[in-house]
Amino acid sequence: MLEVESINTFYGEYQAIHDVSLRVESGALVSIFGPNGHGKSTLLKTICGLMKPASGIVRFEGQEIQGLPSHRLVEMGVVLISEERHLFPEMTVMENLRLGAYNKNARGKEAENLELVFGMFPRLKEFAKKTALTLSGGEARMLAIGRGLMSNAGFLAIDEPSFGLAPILRTQVFEQIVALRERGLSILLVEQTTGDIAEQSDYIYLLEDGRIAFSGSKDEALRDDAVRKVFLGIT
Amino acid sequence: MREFIEVLITGFTIGIVYFLVAVGFTLCYGVGRVLNYAYGSFFTWGAYLAWVIAVGYASLNYFLVFIVVLPIMFLMGLAVDQVIIRPLRSRPEFEFSVLLATLGLAVFLDNLVLVIFGPRTKSLPAFLEGSVKIGGFTISWQLLAMFAFALVVAVVLFVFMAKTRTGMSMRAVAQDPVGARIVGIPLYRVFAITFGISTLLCGAGGILLAPRFFMTPLGGWTFLVKALIIVIAGGLGSIKGTLYASFILGILEAIVGWKLGLLWVMPFWFLVLFVILLVRPAGLFGATARKG
Repeated sequence: MLEVESINTFYGEYQAIHDVSLRVESGALVSIFGPNGHGKSTLLKTICGLMKPASGIVRFEGQEIQGLPSHRLVEMGVVLISEERHLFPEMTVMENLRLGAYNKNARGKEAENLELVFGMFPRLKEFAKKTALTLSGGEARMLAIGRGLMSNAGFLAIDEPSFGLAPILRTQVFEQIVALRERGLSILLVEQTTGDIAEQSDYIYLLEDGRIAFSGSKDEALRDDAVRKVFLGIT
Repeated sequence: MREFIEVLITGFTIGIVYFLVAVGFTLCYGVGRVLNYAYGSFFTWGAYLAWVIAVGYASLNYFLVFIVVLPIMFLMGLAVDQVIIRPLRSRPEFEFSVLLATLGLAVFLDNLVLVIFGPRTKSLPAFLEGSVKIGGFTISWQLLAMFAFALVVAVVLFVFMAKTRTGMSMRAVAQDPVGARIVGIPLYRVFAITFGISTLLCGAGGILLAPRFFMTPLGGWTFLVKALIIVIAGGLGSIKGTLYASFILGILEAIVGWKLGLLWVMPFWFLVLFVILLVRPAGLFGATARKG
């Protein structure tokens, strides 16, 4: 289980995250929705150790993890799949995936996880020897997700997995994410707007101006008029 | 014609040794964003350490010199990274701070050489005497040994970078440091190892080139400038570019030295650098040239 207790995160003087608390139960799929530029990515980066919160606590499996170096968090199983992808452009798809299994807990399961990733995204197997730089936007996103899965994570923070994807790929990616939950992973997902992933979420948060504007189960979210209109795009 | 080919062979050999020196410099920048102004002083230290070991203890057994000096250089690199560079990493103006810090380190290391060894030039005797005739060409054993050793180091470096987990993590950090953090690569450890390897490569260059040039406490600066020219010509941070530029400039050096004298080498190097930058402003394999 991952718990966030009233964290505040700054970019220099500018406060991007205000007193945010949330929790992701083991094996749950939790979604955060909200408009662009309202702190969703910053929140995920803070949880995964790429940014340090000025105050507040992040707990994973009962242990405080805020302020730990990112490689320690990856070893513990807290892994980010970034919206900006951050692939290694001059390496092949295969090398990118192998580096996904860099942490010592993933090394032993490299072959097994590789099979899982290739099962999910057969395209990656086909392109194993291509340089990451030459991939299309959709393929690069698959590689970013695949690389994240190679880490043998227990908790995955996924930042806008559908961004820039064709609708058919988007559905595919969401199906795979739901399938990951079936495998016992805890997932914290961030999207700008969407209907279909909300349906599958165990719990929903809305982030507005760096603050939690709404939290509740899927049904509660669907009942809330403001939420439906503004964030879920349902009228 | 035969003389020309012998000059080419010499140039090729100088080129591969320059590659070792320059690639260490470029790795340090590409992976760790450190423009290391103390690099020339590391070169000087490699040469002087080799002189101490070779003349003082190893009775000119060069194999022993490499075995002893290279690990010392590696450890020296680790120490410099931990003591001087790492504390600067949290600063917003890191790249500039580190430039000043390494400049200060260079002054310190050079003067340390001056205090310990004195200002008089020293020379490292050639590894091997005599020469060998291969297919009508006369090549000195010294040159051959230099070539063989540099080649071994270069090949080991390439395999290391391409195949090992540490080499891959170094490339990963160079290509996307945030991506490297995302997959759980410990950045500071990679920075330290890179700096150690960089210093080791520089020391290897110092040992190999010391018999060709006289050693002085400030002699390393020439090689810092040479490494800079090679690295800029090849494209800062690019290993492939460094390789090509090293051979081009090494062969140029041999030809210019043969026809006009060694004094003309640097003017010609700058001329070639100028031409390369006119055609490709980011160097042969520089980042913007690659993208555009």
